[in-house]
Formats: sequence, C-alpha cells, structure tokens
Amino acid sequence: MMIKRDLLILFVLACGAGAMPYIGSEFAVSMALTCLMYVALSTSWALFCGTTRYMSLATAAFFGIGAYAGALALELLPWGLVIALGAVLAAGVAALMGAAVLHLRGTYFAVLTFGMTELIRHAITYWEKQVTGTVGRVLMVVPDRDTVYLSVLGLAVLAVLCTIVVRRSRFGLALVGIGADEQRAQTLGVNTRLVKVAGFALTAAFAGAVGAAMSVRWTYIDPATVFNPFIGFQTVLIALIGGAATLWGPLIAAVVFSLLAETLRLQMPQLYMMSLGMLLILCVLYLPGGLASLRFPRAAR
Amino acid sequence: MSLGSWAELIASGLITGGVYALVALGLNLQYGLMRILNIAHGEFLMLGAFLTWAAHESLGWSPLLMLPVSFLLLGALGLAIHRLVFRRLTLTSANLDVFEARGLMVSFGLMFLVQNFAQSVWGGDLRGYDYLAEPVAIGGAQFAGNKLLLLGLALVISGALIALLRLTLLGKGVRALMQSPTGAQLVGIDTERLHPLMFGLGLGLSGLAGCLLSMSYTISPGMGEPYTVTALIVITLGGFGSMTGALVGGLGLGVVEALGMHFSNPSLKSLLSYGIFIAVLLWRPNGLFTRK
Repeated sequence: MMIKRDLLILFVLACGAGAMPYIGSEFAVSMALTCLMYVALSTSWALFCGTTRYMSLATAAFFGIGAYAGALALELLPWGLVIALGAVLAAGVAALMGAAVLHLRGTYFAVLTFGMTELIRHAITYWEKQVTGTVGRVLMVVPDRDTVYLSVLGLAVLAVLCTIVVRRSRFGLALVGIGADEQRAQTLGVNTRLVKVAGFALTAAFAGAVGAAMSVRWTYIDPATVFNPFIGFQTVLIALIGGAATLWGPLIAAVVFSLLAETLRLQMPQLYMMSLGMLLILCVLYLPGGLASLRFPRAAR
Repeated sequence: MSLGSWAELIASGLITGGVYALVALGLNLQYGLMRILNIAHGEFLMLGAFLTWAAHESLGWSPLLMLPVSFLLLGALGLAIHRLVFRRLTLTSANLDVFEARGLMVSFGLMFLVQNFAQSVWGGDLRGYDYLAEPVAIGGAQFAGNKLLLLGLALVISGALIALLRLTLLGKGVRALMQSPTGAQLVGIDTERLHPLMFGLGLGLSGLAGCLLSMSYTISPGMGEPYTVTALIVITLGGFGSMTGALVGGLGLGVVEALGMHFSNPSLKSLLSYGIFIAVLLWRPNGLFTRK
C-alpha cells in the first residue's frame, strides 16, 4: 500500500517537474533545476547517512569530482556516458575513502570527511595551478538547457526511486540496523563493513552524477565553485531539516530551501546565509526529527 | 642561511604558532570539557579581530586596551550562547554521542551566522591598521615590534591559563570534570556553573587571539575558518584535553609550517596542513576524540 502510494506521488511530481521547461519562464526553470539538484543530493545523502547516522560532510567532494570528470570528458564521450563517468569516479573515491574512515563514528567521521573534501579541493587546485597552468576550465560545447534539466530531473527521480527500493530491501534493513546498533547488526550476521562501504559509494555515485550534469550549466568551473563546502553543508542541512530518516522529508525541505535560496540569495546573500544558520540551530534544538516529524511523529522518532 | 635569518624564520613560526596555541587552547577547553566540537571557534577569533579594528579606527583606542575588552565581550557572548543553545541541547540529548553530533551541527549554524553577520556589517574587504610596526633588531635578526608583542602576550596568556587550571581550585574542578563527569558531580562540582564559564572562557580566548592577530596581520570575515582547522590539527597533535600539549603543539605546528613554506612552495601550505591533519587522524584513530 505504502509503496504504491509513494510511487504514485513520485510519478505525479516527476510529470509536473518534467513539464517545467515547456511551460515555465527561464527563471522558473533555473530555479527548478537548483531545486532538483538538491532533491537528488539530499535524498541520496539521507539514503545512507540518514539511516546509518554516519554524518558525511563529503558531498562537496563527490560533487566536485563528478563535475571535473564531466568537464574533462564532455568533448570525448556522449552525454549519458559523461554522467555515468562522474558517478563511477565519485563512487570509486567514496569506496576508497569509506574503507579508510568508515570504522570511525560520530564527530570523528564527520570531521574526517570534511578534512578529506578540503584535501581533495586543495590537491586539485594545486594540480591545476602547477601542472595545467590554469585556475579553472571553460566548457566550450555544452548540451542545451532542456537536456541538462531533464538529466537532473532523471537523477532526482532515480534517487527517490532508489530510496524507495532500498528501504524495502535486505540492504536497506541492514543500513537501518547499523544506524540503530552497529554491534548488534554485526552479531546478527550483517557484513557491516561491506554494507557501509556500498551505501557510502551509492550516495557518492548520485552526488558525482549530479556534479557531472550540473557542471555544464556553469560553462566555467574552478575548484572553488565545484568543491564549495557549502554544497555539502546545504545538502546535510536540507536532509536534517526535512528529516533524514524519512523518504519525503529531504525532498520537501529541498524545494523550500531552493525557493528561499533563489529569492533571498540574489538580493541579500548574507541575510540568506544568516537565516540558514539560524534555521539549522533552531531545527537541531526544537525539531530533531525534521519537518517530516510534524506530519509523521511516530515514523521520525 | 645565516644565523640571523634562521632566527627570523623560527621566530615567525613561533609567532603564528602562538596564535594557533591560543585558539587551540580554547577549542580544547570546549571539546575536552563539554564535548562541543565548536567548528565556529575561528569565527569568534574573527569577531575579536574586527572589534579591535573597529575600536582602533573609530574610537582611536589602543589595541592593548582592547585585549581585556574583547576578552570580556566574547566571554559574555559565550555565556549567552551556552545559555541559549547548549544548555537546552544538554537537557534534551539522550546521551553524549547524540549531544556531540547535534552540537557539531549547531556550531556549523553558528559559523554561518557569525561569518555572514560580520560580512554584512563590515563588508568582505581586507582590513588592517598600523600598530608598533617599526622593526626591532635583536642580535643579527630583525623583528616587527607588533609580532614580538603578539608572541609575548600569547605565551603569557597561555601560561596564565595553564597556571589557572593547574593551581587554583577552579582549575582542579575543571580537570576533575574532564576526567570523570559523574565522579566530579558526586564530589559536589557544579557542572551547571562550570560549563557555561568554560565555554565563555574558550570564546574569550579566541577573542584575545583575534585581537592580537589584528595588530600585525590584515583581517577579513573569512579569516576564521583556517584557524579552526589548524586548532583541530593542534589538539590532535597535542592530545585531546591536554593544555600543555595544545601549547607545545601550536608552537610546533607554527614552526613546521614556516619551515615547510620556506623550503617548498607557499601554495602547498593548505595542502600540507590538511595532509598532516588527515594523516594524524588516521594514524592515531580514536586518539583524539575518545577518552583514554
């Protein structure tokens, strides 16, 4: 019953979003694109980090890796493969990173993933400066707007779909088990190490694919833009405010935030960031289950 | 290299190291005592620096006068933040791990809030003023007066803090709380009073560090974050909860950075410090964030 309802909601939402480029104005489409980007990022983040309670701050790293992979491969590969390449590279890096740090929990994990993101960003900046001799890259041939939009929409739908499927699978149950009590899950025969690395890589694959798809929209990319830690923070923030343990929470919060961001940020960027910080604090203090806990108080406990 | 230029190089490392030590001491106090990993710690350093700059520019106050003022102001801010945010967080968190994760999120929020507040009030430009900029010659080496003052004061303040924790009854209480929160409460140490006080003290220390920094470096709203990361590295190096460790680690890291930058490429600096950070964290897993 639940799954049919969820699939139906997803279908309706996807159709509505899919009609956007044909009916909406330029501004509305650009806003919807940001919206979809954060839906894909925070839904896939919540898929692993929300269920297992491993707080990863490395989304920006995977996004940036995807964006760089996309930028480099854009003229060599067809569009679909460019996105796939971003996903595969990001998942590969995540598997390596995960193997190194996933035995650590809590703050330690969060701080390490943040540190690694910064390390990757500085390494690529250094590489670009010293070896290729540039700071950023200009993308010459870019797909048209509707292709980009529909690809990101596809990724967002895929992320939600993936969450729906995973939540009902053995893999999903293992993730929830790890979140509730890792040692118990291990005792009950879950290969926690493998499940964690696989989940982390899955999250990263989405972030990498979104990065690859979004990089063409900027036409000029440099490490400071695509590895911007803020992308990671905002993803985490959206997932937490929406309710990281729920299916629709991150989606709802992503829509609300993107609207807020696009309207406020242009006129008053500082005010936007300040209200973001304020919201984060208030949300942690008074709404630990997220927005979705208002509607489903039991499920979000 | 002559003896004089070696002395200058080491001294410049010690000078940045002194600031690192001050920031790390404050962070260590907050994390060691309350398990608040305050990512926004560097932002309060920035606030201290801007307060000093603003007082110097508009009121003509001496930065030295601003030392106690920014300490008190930031300390009061710390008390207020603890009262408004962390007290409720302590009361509503089921256990220490949950508290730690939520505290980390809150401090990210504080970082956004403070950094952008500063940006909207003072703008994003680099600022600075001249104070005691004349060089002082010692032996064959030349030092800027303000940097020597910075180093001296940083050492004095760190020493005073360590003495406070070692010698006074208050310090004894704080150390007891670090060792065993339950045990300390059993013998009548008042957590309700000590926690806000130490959080305020930590913020006050970063205010002091900012005030000192503004005497000899240019300042900007984005200056805080690198210091937070450095402070994390320092408390990793020096050992969590150890105040002397933070002082020695801070000075040591400053010297290592100065030497590394002199003998290699300056643009490698952030790569180096993040590299050290991750290597230390991986090399000493659980050494930093768990109690031994």
